[in-house]
Amino acid sequence: MRNVTLAVNGKTVRCSAGTSLLDVCTAQGIDIPTLCHHPQLKPFGACRLCIVEDAKSGRIFASCVTPVAQDMEIQTHSERVVRHRRNIIRLIMAEHPESCLVCSKGNHCDLRKIAAQLGVGQTGLYPMHNYQGIEQANPFIIRDLTKCILCGKCIRADHELVAAGAIDYNHRGFDARPSTLFEQPLEKSECTFCGTCVSLCPTGALTMKNVRYVGAPQKEHESVCGFCAAGCAVSLGVTDGQVVEVTPSPRTDTVNGVTLCVRGHFAHDFLKSEHRLTSPMVKKDGEWTEISWTEALEILSQKLLSVKKEHGPRTIGFMGSSKCTNEENYLFQKIARSLLETNNIDNGGHLFGLPLAAQLDKRLGGRFRARPLKGLEQAEAIFVIGANPGNSVPVAGYHIKRAAQNGTPLIVADPLPTDLNRFAGLRLAVAPGRDLDMVNAISALLLEKKAYDASYTAENTTGFSFFRTGLSSISFERASKTTGLKLDRLEQAAEMIAGKKIAFVIGQGVLQQPKGQETLDAVVNLALITGSLENGASGIYILHRENNQLGALDMGCAPDGLPGRSSLSDEKARKTWASAWGSKMSPDPGLSLVQMIREADKGNLKALYIMGENPARSLPDPGFVKAALEKVDFLAVQDILMTETAQLADMILPGAVFAEKAGSFTNMEGRVQSFDPALPLPGAARPDWEILAMLAQKLGMDARYSEVRDIQKEIARLIPSYGEQYLASPVSWVKDAIQEDQPMAFTTPVCWDGEKPPAGFDFTAITGSVRLHLGSGTRTAQSSRIIAWDGRASIEMSPTDAASLGIEEGDAVRVVSQTGSMIGTAKLVFGFPEGLLRTPAGVAGHSLAGLLDISRTPGAVYSGCKSFPVNVEKSNET
Amino acid sequence: MKKTDIDWPKITKIVQDYNSDPECLLMIMQDISDIYNYVPPEVIPVLVEKLGVSESLIYSVATFYKTISLEPRGKYIINVCTGTACHVRGAEKITHALAEELGIEEGQTTADGMFTLDAVRCVGACASGPVAMVNHDTHGALNRSSALEMLDQYRK
Ligand code: SF4
Ligand code: SF4
Ligand code: SF4
Ligand code: FES
Ligand code: FES
Repeated sequence: MRNVTLAVNGKTVRCSAGTSLLDVCTAQGIDIPTLCHHPQLKPFGACRLCIVEDAKSGRIFASCVTPVAQDMEIQTHSERVVRHRRNIIRLIMAEHPESCLVCSKGNHCDLRKIAAQLGVGQTGLYPMHNYQGIEQANPFIIRDLTKCILCGKCIRADHELVAAGAIDYNHRGFDARPSTLFEQPLEKSECTFCGTCVSLCPTGALTMKNVRYVGAPQKEHESVCGFCAAGCAVSLGVTDGQVVEVTPSPRTDTVNGVTLCVRGHFAHDFLKSEHRLTSPMVKKDGEWTEISWTEALEILSQKLLSVKKEHGPRTIGFMGSSKCTNEENYLFQKIARSLLETNNIDNGGHLFGLPLAAQLDKRLGGRFRARPLKGLEQAEAIFVIGANPGNSVPVAGYHIKRAAQNGTPLIVADPLPTDLNRFAGLRLAVAPGRDLDMVNAISALLLEKKAYDASYTAENTTGFSFFRTGLSSISFERASKTTGLKLDRLEQAAEMIAGKKIAFVIGQGVLQQPKGQETLDAVVNLALITGSLENGASGIYILHRENNQLGALDMGCAPDGLPGRSSLSDEKARKTWASAWGSKMSPDPGLSLVQMIREADKGNLKALYIMGENPARSLPDPGFVKAALEKVDFLAVQDILMTETAQLADMILPGAVFAEKAGSFTNMEGRVQSFDPALPLPGAARPDWEILAMLAQKLGMDARYSEVRDIQKEIARLIPSYGEQYLASPVSWVKDAIQEDQPMAFTTPVCWDGEKPPAGFDFTAITGSVRLHLGSGTRTAQSSRIIAWDGRASIEMSPTDAASLGIEEGDAVRVVSQTGSMIGTAKLVFGFPEGLLRTPAGVAGHSLAGLLDISRTPGAVYSGCKSFPVNVEKSNET
Repeated sequence: MKKTDIDWPKITKIVQDYNSDPECLLMIMQDISDIYNYVPPEVIPVLVEKLGVSESLIYSVATFYKTISLEPRGKYIINVCTGTACHVRGAEKITHALAEELGIEEGQTTADGMFTLDAVRCVGACASGPVAMVNHDTHGALNRSSALEMLDQYRK
């Protein structure tokens, strides 16, 4: 690009043409006041505070929206410029109410700060306020638009960053305000309560509701959001040992930038839950009795050792956690494998497609492990299958919407409408569970039209000819019938992606269906023929659910997976780990999470140690699961809350939340982020790694861990995909472990005839994530803001179906499945397909788990619970 | 207006005529306004769906431009000019006279749905002020009685 030379405050500066004057001045270390500018938003030029003067022409420019020009002589603080800035601030202040004393923006307020810097106190102008009512019915955000200075940051954040489109300017001139449709309260708009507008508002017009303190917190701690797998970098504002607010981290190289979602921003108030566990306890005659850590560890180690001795290692189970740190999961499985010689280890990610992700890694031969979400914004096309990121992983949703807003073709395949629909160039309302046929048909169409990357497939893959032969016999007529999609829709999809490098976004709609594995395989096949994997921007993005699901896998918290995603069945890997740990290593394949429950039911599981999981709530069929857990001779539960599972335990060990301990999480991108404790521990609770380190010592492990760093050093040494970089830097990426002898292979396409629905059920319910909760909602249900908001679970359905059943919007409805029923509130959705229902997961007190049947997932892998047959009826319950 | 009172094929045609281009939102809203004299809120979700724009943008456009309303308006929209030139020539009297005659206030619509009374700032015919526009017709040099006569023309 062309270069330009100019003078800034007398100093000669060279920069590329097109740079804004503001950026040039900022780079020179000059502080220019701004109110409407933000580096992550498009320049806007609303406030005019950033004015500078060109001494040569005598003109005054708003520097944020003026590009540099050759030979300018810029003065940033001339007498004239400063006088104008003061006047601008005076005018803004004249319109602004004098409420600083009671404003919760307090020391954060940019307007106040800049006014002070410019020495503006009393304006000496006639005050002219635009009075607006304060809007604060919702538990998250207070809007006091009398204080609005019309900088437009909230509107641009809402449009450009999170693409919600909830607010825009209304009216004109003095009357204008950021407004929803018909000036309705936020909760009646498209607002997702992501809080991004609140983070960016320079005044007290937008503030967080239910903050305990007014003004700036005493301390800000860099950390990572404790909820979903986006792994947003957050700043925990701490006052008096409590998190009083959560905001996006000021770092710029993060997955989330200045955005967060409603959970990250507002649901961390669960941290101050009154139901925290604060002492180790054992159940004596049905009563909980507090005991010391020494006693607890003594009992725990004795029980584990005696069960091992009496019944053998295979009768002991370990459930690790997709919410605990890498270090904890590593140590947990090391204890299980090396000291108790059992491979019965799993984690809650099992319920959210983790085994499939592990399979995917094998199929790709350890390649493409790092998939930065920002790549989505550079992909040539995006194909979203069975995912509702707006609810499940909102920050991933923002990336997709931004890409689509900037013109990237977007295909959304989902039986139900999602908030991506507005952005999609093509929507494929595929029949539930039939994505497999859809993906295969699209591949077949591309092959038929020769619109695939022949040289890529020839050079980088094996088995292409089998694959092609397999697909050549596919009947489009059949595919069209099973998927419920007209052939021309499938053709349109093929056309949209032909010749492009595609980013595939795969959600639970694929991972949790009966043919999840086959469908994911079909997606890989499509990715291979289009050569989509190689390009850093495209490839396959799996929307993991919990924040450290992928980390738990990396750390070997899976029955058949050793640390570093190596296989238990791989003898070499087994030997390496056995010798690294100086222990024996059983080759017996371990039990998965659902298998452990089944074995417990049969009385074959004698001891179970659960760390940070709540299977009695998260698994289907809670009655069955609870009964199975009761049959375990010794159940130890390490958790932060008295969960449904903890209530059944023989022993409780109080652990710590992420904000109270050190460690690292690995997000869905493969980004490993370390953090330090920000909060003191409640009562006698201990960081989970510390509990494990004490236990390890008791059980006779040689290695000693007196701080998290000791575990990290071992991980860096023994798991090459984490390696030195993970030790050296608080943010690193999971490295590939490419096995050159394993080229990427096509799988032979399979067909599936679907399941025959049982007679008497007219509807298919599809479970969907909700934005306010994560997973089974154990933690989000402890957030007072979320609870204040949450009503009854809403059951979404088509207005036509509702009419024929005499159901109206807001009516109580009962959804009945083969195994149970749940009550919800009918929500009639315009354009919702007939015959389908959306039943929400995780909503407090309205768990849909009872609707599902655990026997639907007979194998080692939990699947098949995404959609199931039900009936729906109007209910008299209120 | 009920959903069923809307001529959906016509709405679809309007959107198609502009290639479903979100950039043409204003024109599309004007064309819809030409049919109903306002933009029925019932069409908003449909515009969101077909154009891929947000609801709040539609509201922003509708409240920014005086020619667009989201509330039902009369068959005839009377815009009395209150610009400087018309103001000094007694625009206020014209507004009063019309308001009294129609039994409504500025910004309101008569119960029979015939007239809406509104004000604008200068329609560019200052020389013949005071001026009022009725839909697309301009009426100049108004006084109390000619303003009332003007109404009669439309009452037929
Ligand atoms: S509400 Fe805040 S961010 Fe939005 S325009 Fe007003 S001052 Fe700016
Ligand atoms: S909270 Fe988020 S979605 Fe709601 S208005 Fe603000 S930026 Fe938009
Ligand atoms: S997107 Fe996920 S990681 Fe980010 S703030 Fe929301 S819940 Fe937390
Ligand atoms: S910062 Fe440049 S105009 Fe507001
Ligand atoms: S002031 Fe009325 S037409 Fe110009």
